[in-house]
Amino acid sequence: MTQVAILPDPLKEVAPPRGRSGGAAWAIWLLRRLGLAVLTLWLVSVLVFVATAALGDPVRAILGRDYDSNPGRVAQLEEQLNADDGLISRYLSWLGGLLTGDPGTSLANQQPVWGQISANVVNTLVLVLLAAAVMIPLAFGIAMISAHYRRRRPDTVIQTILLALAGVPEFVTGILLVALFSTSVFNIFPAVTIATPGGRPWDNLDGMVLPVATLVLAVTPHVSRIVRASLLEVLDSDYVELARLKGIPESVVMRKHALLNAIVPGIQVIALQLAWLAGGVVLVETLFSYPGIGRQLVDSVRNHDVPMVQALTIIIAAVYIVVNLVADLLSVLLTPRARTAISS
Amino acid sequence: MNQNPRRDLQLSRRQLLKYSGVGVAAVAGSSFLAACGGNGGSGGGGGDEPQSSGGILIHGATGGGSKDTLDPHQPVTNPDIARVCNLYEPLLIWNNDYELEPALAESIEASSDARTWTIKMRPGVTFHNGKDVTAEDALFSIQRFANPKAPLSAGGQLSQIIDFQSTKAVDPTTLKLVLNTPYAILDTLLAEYTAGIIPTDFDVKNPVGTGAFVYESFEPGKTSTFTRYSGYWGDPAFVDELQIQDFADDNAKVNALQAGQIQTVDNLPYNLIDTIEGAGGGVLVSDTGAWVPFTMRVDVEPFSDVRVRQAMRLIVDRQAMIDQTLSGYGSLGNDLYAPFDPAYASDLPQREQDIDQAKALLQQAGQEGMQVELFTGDDIGSVAPAAANLFVEQAKLAGVDVKVTKKTPFYDDDYLSYPFAQDFWNTRNYIAQAVVGTFPPEQGGTYNETHWDNEEHRSLVNAAARELDETKRAELLHDAQEIEYEEGGLIIWGFRQQVDGYAAGVQGLEPHKYLPLGAYRFDKVSV
Repeated sequence: MTQVAILPDPLKEVAPPRGRSGGAAWAIWLLRRLGLAVLTLWLVSVLVFVATAALGDPVRAILGRDYDSNPGRVAQLEEQLNADDGLISRYLSWLGGLLTGDPGTSLANQQPVWGQISANVVNTLVLVLLAAAVMIPLAFGIAMISAHYRRRRPDTVIQTILLALAGVPEFVTGILLVALFSTSVFNIFPAVTIATPGGRPWDNLDGMVLPVATLVLAVTPHVSRIVRASLLEVLDSDYVELARLKGIPESVVMRKHALLNAIVPGIQVIALQLAWLAGGVVLVETLFSYPGIGRQLVDSVRNHDVPMVQALTIIIAAVYIVVNLVADLLSVLLTPRARTAISS
Repeated sequence: MNQNPRRDLQLSRRQLLKYSGVGVAAVAGSSFLAACGGNGGSGGGGGDEPQSSGGILIHGATGGGSKDTLDPHQPVTNPDIARVCNLYEPLLIWNNDYELEPALAESIEASSDARTWTIKMRPGVTFHNGKDVTAEDALFSIQRFANPKAPLSAGGQLSQIIDFQSTKAVDPTTLKLVLNTPYAILDTLLAEYTAGIIPTDFDVKNPVGTGAFVYESFEPGKTSTFTRYSGYWGDPAFVDELQIQDFADDNAKVNALQAGQIQTVDNLPYNLIDTIEGAGGGVLVSDTGAWVPFTMRVDVEPFSDVRVRQAMRLIVDRQAMIDQTLSGYGSLGNDLYAPFDPAYASDLPQREQDIDQAKALLQQAGQEGMQVELFTGDDIGSVAPAAANLFVEQAKLAGVDVKVTKKTPFYDDDYLSYPFAQDFWNTRNYIAQAVVGTFPPEQGGTYNETHWDNEEHRSLVNAAARELDETKRAELLHDAQEIEYEEGGLIIWGFRQQVDGYAAGVQGLEPHKYLPLGAYRFDKVSV
């Protein structure tokens, strides 16, 4: 995953507006980015809707061979899906429901969609954020150590380990962690999340350790390698050389001069990884029986539960867009050239 | 991820209907039940040491998801079935040997014409809300699952034969069921786990039954909790609390058992049996009457020639099928279903692979070097594609060229018109299975894959269904089975064994021939 290549250049994207005050320029820039985000989300909603509609008759898929023998249920499901209406009017009524916070009713159990997914959305977000909270300092720390020992033995060892970890799929890491820490070797941590009624998975913090560790091990190598690469680039630059010549201690050079300048690619890759985690944790959720949206999405697809699939896909897309928006914003704020370009 | 045959069961309504279907036993005449009243419903523990009370039992259920429900009469997923078996009880119940025992009914007696059935309710049974169980409640429950307009899983057959105009609760403890046709094995229809008795003011949001556990909480796709019912009419449960946890993944389920987080799992995949035993746990192996037949349509070439059908049956190496597709966890089949039926024709010689004879039959039929297409699919269960591929190899020996076509999904509009295919069925007794699987559709044969249409066979089965005398009924059914044994279109090579797992220290589980994990009777289990 070499996400650096597709790093959007904020300088190109936003032409500096002229003759306006800095604040107004910022507001316009933000509004424009928000508008683009909403537009993207709308396009996604169209795609999701068309894709789920193109999968064939959902009623037939749900009922299987009972389709012919159970006309009552066919009629009931068709009414619920408004199958008689055209594609566009169905889309509009679905979009309207989505905007008013009512994504419809599940076909599988006739319960409101939002009531079923809200808890899982929070569960997944908590899992991802916990993983991020551990992963970000860890990845930057490793990158700094690695860059410090550039091309010497510690660096080589670290890079080899990171490369190996990056090459192993996360469910393999997870299975190994479970075997090591909860079943075969030691019996320290729970192997799965046992939900307590009405409770949250993190009520028992022990149970969060292995899922979070699995995600951290899956994501850290990518972030760490990118940050190391940009650190090395900065450390080779003239101004760092100058700072060293001026006699500034190496640790200060690393923190103040190098790290701050190397942070932007790091933010971008973290954003991409977080966005991937929001939808891609399904394997980890399955392995640890963690009640999140990834597993719910798989379950819903299997049930041909169109309203659930639509709502979950939109939420995952929204997370993607929001995370990337925040990352862009942070990148601009941390890049003086880009800041000036906007406010000047 | 994993293709567990039982996991697939929850996926379609059609499969559920088959699984929970109207299992029918000819075992229980009215006299048997009347003599067998009293406290016959609960068994003892299985271990050597006395079982201790207290603690919490967490059961890891296979599958489950947003389709989960607490409805007593239409469970969809495996965790649903586990919940239903602990919350609710039917009038009669299948015991470990797939024989009828009285549960909420103390006795059930048929009139001499098998048209009027008198059900005596067991006295002193209360619902979880303290209300006494009356004949009115039983009638209400039957009306709910056997509603002629929309019968639920247990009520398919009942909805057609009960005359609801004349059926009534005579007094609080007596229910008189009137049928519009003689039906000698009505009692077997009332023993399904999907025929639980619920109070007339039942509300699925706060479900009330008579089972050994009281509803506490429920989150579809996640977990549900129950507490011991102290007012239970049988022996109260050992554990204080029961929790049923959904598991989408087999490995997660087994990991949890190994880590000591859960105490029991149902539907253990064969490849994980050693893992459980290695970790000090135990494996519960139960015989079942579940089968995955090859189905030959008797009304199309080449299977319309009975010699071809007989040859195909002689081609199958039954033991190899069991060893390779069931990892050896199975028992031999003899092209007859309903192995637990008291009328099962066990005296017919076991059919074995006989390639020479098969070749000779094919030659007589003019079908040497026959080419056939065999339809299979993953949605039948993982056993089916494996068995299909093995059959290709076995058929080569007799010069038959079989081409396997894997359909996704298998259960689409072509189902029931494949000339040569597979299907799956679960434990049932003969009459119910014969009706649904070998009668013409308009006479109740909803899933007659082989298009079998044999007047003589049908009249024997119908006569047996009206016959109250068990010996006479068995004779009629034996004749019916002989016809199918000689001419039928099904190749039944074996019956699957059910494998479930439990952690060290768990006591009281006994193999049950019908449902997994001792029919999920967690009241008999101590931890």
